[in-house]
Parts: sequence; C-alpha cells; structure tokens
Amino acid sequence: MITAIRSIVSYRELILALAWKTIAVRYKQAYLGIAWAIIKPLTLMAIFSLLRSIVGIDTGTVPYAVLTFAALLPWLLFQEAAAEGVRSIVGNAHLIKKIYFPREVFPLTAVATKLVEFGINYAILLAMMSYYGIFPSTQALWVPLLVLYVVLISLTIALAGAALNVYYRDVGAAMPLVLNMLMYASPVIYPLALVQDKLLVKHAGGDWSSVLYTLYTANPMAGLIDAFQRVMLRGQPPDLHAMAPGMILVAIAFPISYLLFKRAESWFADVI
Amino acid sequence: MAIIEVSHVTKEFRLGQMHSLKETFRNGLARLRNKPAEQRPLFKALDDIDFKVEQGEVLGIIGHNGAGKSTLLKLLAGISRPTRGTVSVRGRVAPLIEVGAGLVPDLTGRENIYLNATILGMKRAEIRQKFDDIVSFAELESFIDTPVKRYSSGMQVRLAFSIATAVDSEILIIDEVLAVGDLAFQRKCFDRMEDLIRRKTSTVLLVSHNLRQVERLCSRVLLFESGKLLEDGPAKRVCDSFYQRLDNKILKTRASAVRHGRYVESGDIELLECHILDDAGSPTERISHGNDLVVRARFRVHQPLPNPIFGIGFHTTDFVYLSTSHSVGHLELPQLEPGHHEVVCRFARVPLLPGVYSVRVGVAFGTHVVPSFYGENLAHFQIVTNRINRAWDSAVNEGFFALDTSWSIGPRDALASGSDGRLKCA
Repeated sequence: MITAIRSIVSYRELILALAWKTIAVRYKQAYLGIAWAIIKPLTLMAIFSLLRSIVGIDTGTVPYAVLTFAALLPWLLFQEAAAEGVRSIVGNAHLIKKIYFPREVFPLTAVATKLVEFGINYAILLAMMSYYGIFPSTQALWVPLLVLYVVLISLTIALAGAALNVYYRDVGAAMPLVLNMLMYASPVIYPLALVQDKLLVKHAGGDWSSVLYTLYTANPMAGLIDAFQRVMLRGQPPDLHAMAPGMILVAIAFPISYLLFKRAESWFADVI
Repeated sequence: MAIIEVSHVTKEFRLGQMHSLKETFRNGLARLRNKPAEQRPLFKALDDIDFKVEQGEVLGIIGHNGAGKSTLLKLLAGISRPTRGTVSVRGRVAPLIEVGAGLVPDLTGRENIYLNATILGMKRAEIRQKFDDIVSFAELESFIDTPVKRYSSGMQVRLAFSIATAVDSEILIIDEVLAVGDLAFQRKCFDRMEDLIRRKTSTVLLVSHNLRQVERLCSRVLLFESGKLLEDGPAKRVCDSFYQRLDNKILKTRASAVRHGRYVESGDIELLECHILDDAGSPTERISHGNDLVVRARFRVHQPLPNPIFGIGFHTTDFVYLSTSHSVGHLELPQLEPGHHEVVCRFARVPLLPGVYSVRVGVAFGTHVVPSFYGENLAHFQIVTNRINRAWDSAVNEGFFALDTSWSIGPRDALASGSDGRLKCA
C-alpha cells in the first residue's frame, strides 16, 4: 500500500498529463465543450423531478431538485470513475504493450478525470443552493474526506474490474448495467431517510428489517450519498451508523482489489 | 557490475484461443480432483536465454523475424515478465521500442510533445528545456500548433521519433524501425542514433536488420533464432555467421514455397523437372563462385515442334533478370519429336557473386519463334565462396557479377606520357 502511494506521488505528472489528455480530447471538437460534464446530472435531475411529481417522495425541508442533484454528484463521480477505470487498461492497450510504468496509473487517471467534472458540478450545486437560500455550514468541511472515500470505493471496483477485463471483456460490458442497477439500490432518487423510516421505524421487513437495513447500507454509496447531503444541505454531521457497514466492506475489499490488480499486472501486455 | 543481467530466461505463450466457459469449468473441476487439466500447447518465444551487458557496452541484437528480439526487448523494458528465469536491469530504460504509440490525433503537436515526453518519463522542466530541439529536429516549426490528425504520416513519425530520442536514460533500446520518413529524414534518424551511441554515456541495445550498421556500431552482437541465443560474440564473427544463415534460409523458403513467378504452358510441351548439376553431374543447390554450373531440364513433348529454341536464364529471388542464354546457333534441330527429351546447358566459370539465385526456362518453336513454354523460379541455387572477403558476402549489397578485370598501378607520369605536371583535359 505504501508503494502504491509512493507510485502515485512519483507518477503524478504522468497521471495529470493523461487526465488532461482525456478531458482535452473529449471536449476538443465538441461545440458545447466541457458543458457536457454538467448536462448529464442536470438532465437526470430534471427526469427525477418529473418522476417525483407523479410518485411523491417526501424530502423534508430541502427542495427535491437540490437534494437529488446533491445525490447525483457523488453517485456520478463513483459510477463514471468505476466504469472508466474498468475500461482503462484495455482502452490503453497501445501504451500497455509499448511502455512500462505502474499500471495503476490508468485507473487513477480515470478517477482524476472524473474528479475534474465533479469539481465543475460542485460549483453548479453551490449555485443552486444559493438560489434556494441554502448555505453550507462548517459541516461542509467533511466534503474532501467524503470525496476521498468515493475515490476509494471507485478504485475498489476499478482495479479489480480492470484486471479482470483484460482477461474477460464481459466485465467491461456488464459494468454499465450493474452500476445502473446499483443506482436504484442507492439513495439517489429517494433520500436515505425514507429507507430508514420504512425499515427501522415501520419495520416493513418484519423481523428481517434491521438485517435488510444493514444489507442496504453495506452498499458504501448508500451511507456516503446520505452523508454528502447531510453535510452540504442540512448542516448535520455524517450518519456514521449508516456508513459503518459500507466502510467495513471497503476496508476489506480495497486491499484485495489492489493486490489482485498488482498480481495480474505483469501479464497485461501478453494477454491484452 | 553488469547493468543488465538476463539469466536463464524462458518466455512462453499459450497458443490458440481463450478457453470457453465450459472448458474453463471442466478444467477447474479436473484440477480440483487432482487430475491433469487439458492444456493448450505452449510456444517458447525465448528459450533459456542467458547473457550480461556491462555499463557502456553497445550491443547489437540480430535475427530473423520471429526470432524473439521484440520479446526480449519487452522483458528488458519491463513490459512483460519472463515465465522462468530472471531479468535484472539497473537503471532507467528508454523505451524506444516503437514510436508513435502515444500520439493523440486530436491534440496539437505542442500538446503531444508534452504528453508523450511525460509518458516516456521526462519531467516538465526537462521537456520545456528540450522543446525547441524536438520541434526543430522534426522540422515542424510552422505546424506545431496544428492538431496531429492534420499531419501527413511522414510528419507524424518525424514528431514521434524526435520526442523518443530526446529522452536521456542509462539504457537506450534502439529499434531499427525507428528510422522513418523520407530518405533525407532517415539519414537524419540514423545520424542521431549513431550520435546517441557514440556519446558512450549510456548502454545501448541496437536491434537491426541492417547488418552493416550493426557491425559498424556495435562491439558485441547477439544472434537469435527461434527463441534461442545462437551466438554471442564480436560483431564481425556473428554477422558473418548470420549472412551465411540468411542465404540458407532464402534458399529453403524459396524451394519450399509454392511456385511464384510466371508459368505459361501451351500444352505442346511439358517441363518434367529442372535441376542444377555440379561439375560431377550430380544435382546440387550449392555452386562455388567461379566453378562451372550445369542446368538440366527434362521435357515431355506432345506435338512435334519444328525448329525448337531453348532459353535458360538466371534471376534473383525478387525477379531481377540477370542473364539469358539461347540455344540459337548452338542447337540446330529441324524438329522435336513427341516423347521425352533432356536439355543440358553448361555455364562455364559462373561469375555470379555469392547469394541465392533462380533459374527460368523458355521454349519456342518455328521460324516465327512462337512461345510454347515459359517458367520462372524453377530451380534455386546458392553461390558460395571460400574466400573470407566481406566485399563478396552479399550480392544484395555488392551487385551480382564479378567481371573479368585486370588492374595496374604505377607512377602517374608513366601512365600519362608527355605530362607537364598538370592535369590535361581532352
């Protein structure tokens, strides 16, 4: 793990150059340019708002549009960083076969690229909040830590997924589908409070309610999205009880994922 | 201490396709039950390779295509790992294996220089310092802010080469394919490579098919064939041995290849066989330079052919016609009757230089010389020489014939009579 951090530090120029390349190429010959980065969350927000006007989701004091946009920010960062990270090794086959540097540079680059888009969308969120008269409290200082946590979650999927994708392209093909399904299992369209209310207060699952709730929060994105909304919109600290199962899962899965990647790494050039 | 140490390295690849899910499952099950799983055959790209390179050495690596040179370079550059054995490299390797891998079409030349130089391991300050050099070497001053996708292919490879050779490193791997572009730029590439080599600061591995260049630049040469290290020694000795093998290989592949070249039959006459015979009259594929050579062709004639004319000529393996000899004036025959016939032609003191050559045969008949049979690449032979003389070692470089010459040398006055000490122009 220490070597991993050291390689990030010594290859930071390369990661930055590659991330800059990805962004530059994506937007260079597009008329709307970088604006595409904000079109996706705004469109999804509009769709969800429309949906909500039919179904009716209770969001308390916070306007639904802001709440769902604040959920979409970390979610899209995770979803796109993970998907892009999984594809990153196969997508850079021409470099893998010609030049050596630690291969985790590619998944890291994918994450770095998405962080830039996250930054832009974060500014949009702040603008929306001020429009609705919501101002962040000092609890917003949690944001860097939460973002780091999203990066860790993304890398857990990206590292193992990228290594497997070299051998079985099925992984890369299945990833968008799996992540899309995971979105419905995360409090993006609806707030986590609704799930807590159903399972912990009304015991909708009967005797299994608390088990189901633990299972739900074992998805690290569930606790994280809620925490992000809390610190940004409600001025409350993160709900550590909701985050704990996911954190334990990541703490176990991330080292395994990293070791798997490092073990597979030396055969990438031969198999790819 | 050796800067590169390769000890007992074997690299194997599995042949064939990926297992299907069913096979993977069945093999996994077999392994669980301690039974031998079905294995795909292995291909040894490198077989027990063992050598060391000292600091500052300039090492040539030669071999046919598929000999394992590229695999070896990949191991040295750390791109892939050996199946068995160890590779240890002390120092930074500049991966000049192939250029242009990192060029991004949508970025400008300037952006590509920064990106690719970073990929090759240069720091930002270093790039900034070398930027002008890179641009001027690639001769792209006026196009540097144009996207690379608008460049001609020549401009792209020039840019890539220029970036690749700007990297400083302890170990430099130079692949001959790096010399790119038009002739003038190729010359520049070679000059730069030789300049890099001559500076002697780094250890150089030069992979090349250009044996003269290898011989001139390298102190030591490794010869690879089918994944094995065949020879390791002084440049001249190994290159000599490679020339010998090269001719042998051309001879073999030509002989086994499907008949190439033109082959026309009218149906009146059929070629049964065509052989090269030595002085003693037995079939051979090897003739010593300056000895006699005999071509024997056997035909089956179906129709009577009036006034037949035979022609036999030599050509190179790439179909450069070198000679033609006709039977006119040598064989006067009013008519060739149906049945089997044997035509023999002796070439005295063959002046062809060492190399591999082929025979072509033609038959025509009648006063109007109607073509009836023509075939190329019918038999192959190698001209060899015992004399160890580099000027004669390859016909490709030295031409094809040794002409009968006489030489003299003496004081200039003796040659130009009545000289007043100045050069006279007629």
